[in-house]
Amino acid sequence: MTDSPYLEAVALSKRYEDGVLALDRVSFGVRPGQIYAMLGANGAGKTTTINIFLNLIDPSEGEARIGGIVTHREPLEAKAHVAYVSENVMLYGNFTAMQNLEFFARLSGKHHYSRDDYHDILRRVGLSDDVHYKKVRGFSKGMRQKCGIAIAILKDAPAILLDEPTSGLDPKAGWEFCRLLESLRQEGKAILMSTHDIFRAKEIADTIAIMKEGRLVMEQPAGELAHLDLEKLYMEYMAGHNGPMPAEA
Amino acid sequence: MFRVLVTKELKAILLSPRFVGTFMVGAVLILLSVYVGIQEYRAAVDHAQTSQLLSDQGLQEATSWMSASTRAYRAPDPMTIFVSGLAFDIGRWTPISTRTGVRLRHSLYSDEPMYAVFRFVDFSLIVVVVMSLFALLFTYDAVSGEREDGTLKLVFSHPVSRAHYLLAKASGAWLGLAAALAVPTALAVLMVVVYGIPLGWQDWLRLTLLLGLAALFCGSFVMIGLLLSACTRHSSVSFLTGLMVWVALTLIVPRIGVLTAGQLTNVPTVAEIQGQREAFARDQWDKFMRDGIGRWQGNTDSLGEEALLARIQTEDSLRRQVETNISDYETRQYADLRRKSERRERLALSLARLSPVSAFQIGAMTLAGTDLDMKPRFESAMDAYRAQFTDYVGQRQSESPGAGGMRIEFNSETGMKISNPRDAGALDISGLPKYVSPRFDLAPAVGSLALDFGVLALGLLGCLFGAVMLFSRYDVR
Repeated sequence: MTDSPYLEAVALSKRYEDGVLALDRVSFGVRPGQIYAMLGANGAGKTTTINIFLNLIDPSEGEARIGGIVTHREPLEAKAHVAYVSENVMLYGNFTAMQNLEFFARLSGKHHYSRDDYHDILRRVGLSDDVHYKKVRGFSKGMRQKCGIAIAILKDAPAILLDEPTSGLDPKAGWEFCRLLESLRQEGKAILMSTHDIFRAKEIADTIAIMKEGRLVMEQPAGELAHLDLEKLYMEYMAGHNGPMPAEA
Repeated sequence: MFRVLVTKELKAILLSPRFVGTFMVGAVLILLSVYVGIQEYRAAVDHAQTSQLLSDQGLQEATSWMSASTRAYRAPDPMTIFVSGLAFDIGRWTPISTRTGVRLRHSLYSDEPMYAVFRFVDFSLIVVVVMSLFALLFTYDAVSGEREDGTLKLVFSHPVSRAHYLLAKASGAWLGLAAALAVPTALAVLMVVVYGIPLGWQDWLRLTLLLGLAALFCGSFVMIGLLLSACTRHSSVSFLTGLMVWVALTLIVPRIGVLTAGQLTNVPTVAEIQGQREAFARDQWDKFMRDGIGRWQGNTDSLGEEALLARIQTEDSLRRQVETNISDYETRQYADLRRKSERRERLALSLARLSPVSAFQIGAMTLAGTDLDMKPRFESAMDAYRAQFTDYVGQRQSESPGAGGMRIEFNSETGMKISNPRDAGALDISGLPKYVSPRFDLAPAVGSLALDFGVLALGLLGCLFGAVMLFSRYDVR
C-alpha cells in the first residue's frame, strides 16, 4: 500500500435544495490496496458521498478526488478511474449477461476483451456457464450483483465504489463477495464501501468509519477494533455519541 | 463511445416487442395503402382515357362547329398513390366550349360519397398518424424509463457525456424506426414498379424527397419524445404528456392556425361580394334610368328617323357602358377576394407550420402536386386550352358559315320547314388541338419545400437543444 490516498474526500459538504444538510465537512482518504467501510444508518450520508465521487451530484463545498482529479471539475476523466457497484444492480433486462458485460466494458473504453474473457470473468464472480447467455431479466438479485461486480472488474479501474453491495445477499453469496473483494484489494484497488453489515465490514475492511447525520463520527483501522465490540460501539454512536472521532482523540 | 451507445440502443430496440409491433403494423398499413393507391390510380387513368374518348366521339357527332364542345380531363399523377392530398376533392374534368368558362367539377368524392365517408388512407397519412406515434413510443421512456429501471445511474458511473448519451438515444430510436419501416416501404415502391406505374426521373426525385421528408418528420417526433422523457421523472408521465402533445400537434395546432388566420384577415364571403355587386348594379341602373328620363323628356315625335336612330344607338351604347361598369366592378371585387383569400391562405399555412404535422403534410402535398395549387394549376392549363379550342372552332365556323343552328323556313306553297343543317358528315376533329394535362414541375415548388424541410429541421434541432439543456440538469439517481 502507498501512503497517498487514491480516493479522497476533502471537507465534503452537501446541502440539498430543500435545505437538508446531507454531508457536513466530511474528510477521509482511501489508499490503493485498502478497503474503507462506511457504516451508518439510512440518511447518514453514505450514498451521498458515493454519488459525489461519481459526480451524480455536485458538492456544496469541499472536493471529492479520484487519483487527484476533482470529480466535479473533470467528471468524465474522474469516472474513467473508478468502478461502481450499487446496492441493487440493475442491468438491461432484454440483454444477456454477456451482452451487458460487453456493453459496459466498451462503455469503459475496453474494446480488447474477447468472448472468453467475458466467460472467465463471469465464472470468477460465481456465475455458471449456463446463465451466461440468459437474459438478465430473470436473474435473482444475487446474480445481478455478481454481474455488477463483473462489470466493475472488467473496467479495471484503480478505484471501486460499492454502495451497500452485500445488502440482500444470502450468506454464501456474501461470503463469496468478500473473497472477491479481498482479491481486488490484493490487486491494489482502492475500495470505498458503504454498508449496514457491521460484521462483514469488520471481517474485510482495513478502515471502518461511522457516519451519522452527514458527519464522520468515527474512523478507526479495523485492526484496532478487533478487540472491541463493534456492534456496541456502533450503537453507542447511533444513540448520540457526537464527540470527536476516536482517531483524533 | 457514441458508437457503443448507438449500437446498444439499436440492439435494445430491435430486441423489444415494440419493434416487432411497429414492423407488423407498418408493413400491413404501408403495403395495403400503396396497393389500394395503385388500384385507384389505374382506375382514374382508365376513367380519364375512356371519358376523353367518349367526349371526342360526342364532338364528332355534333351538328356543327357552332355547338361544338368537349371535355378536358385532369390526368392522374402517379404520386397520388403516396399522397392523395386534394386529388379526390377536386373535380376531375371541365367542359370546354366557346360559351362556358373552365371550372373543374365532379370530384371522386362528390360522385362516390362512400369514398368520402371512409377517406383514402395513403402513405402520408400513415406517416402523420402512425409513424409519429411510433416515434413517440420509441423514445418516451428513453431517459425516465432508464432512471426507473436503475440503469441510468450505472451508465453514468462510466465516462459518458450527457449530450452523447442523448444523441445516441435519438439516433438509435430513429434508426430502429427506420429499420422497422424500411422493408415495407421498399416493398411498396417495388410494387409500384411491378404494376408498371409510369414514373419519370422527376417522379423518382419527388418520391425520394418525400421519403426524406418523412424521415425528417419522424426524427422530429423522436426528438419530441426524447425532450419529454428528459423533463419527466416517470415514464408514465412522459407517455401521457407525449399523447397530449401528439393530439395538440396533429389535431389542434393546424386548425388553430387556420382559425387564427380567419380572425386576423378580413375576407368577404362570396355572398357578400354578390350582394355588393347587386347593390352596385342597382345603383348603376337606377342612375341610367333617371338619366334616361331626362334624356327622353320633350317631344320625340318631332325627331326625324335618323335622329331617333342615333338617339337609340346612344342609348344602347350607354346601356352597354353600364353593363361594362358592372362587369368591371364584379371583376375587381373577385380579384380583391382572390388576393385576400390568398393572403389568408398564406397566413394560415404559416401558422399551421408551427406543428411538424402541418409542415410535413404541406410539404408532402407540394411534392405530390396535390396541394392547394393543384386546382388553379389545372384550371389555368384548361383555360389556355379553351382559348385554343375557341380560336379553332371560330376558324372552322367561318369556313362553313351556312352550317349550324336550326333553320326555319316559311313558304306559302310548301308550308313551314325546319331543318338542322350540319357540316358534311361527322366533324373532322383531326386538326383540333388536344388537351395535354400539365406535368408537375418541381422547380416552382422548391421555395415552399425548402420552407417545410427547414421548419422540420429547425423543430428537430430545437427539441434536441431543449433535451440536452434539460438533461444536463437531470438527476439520474
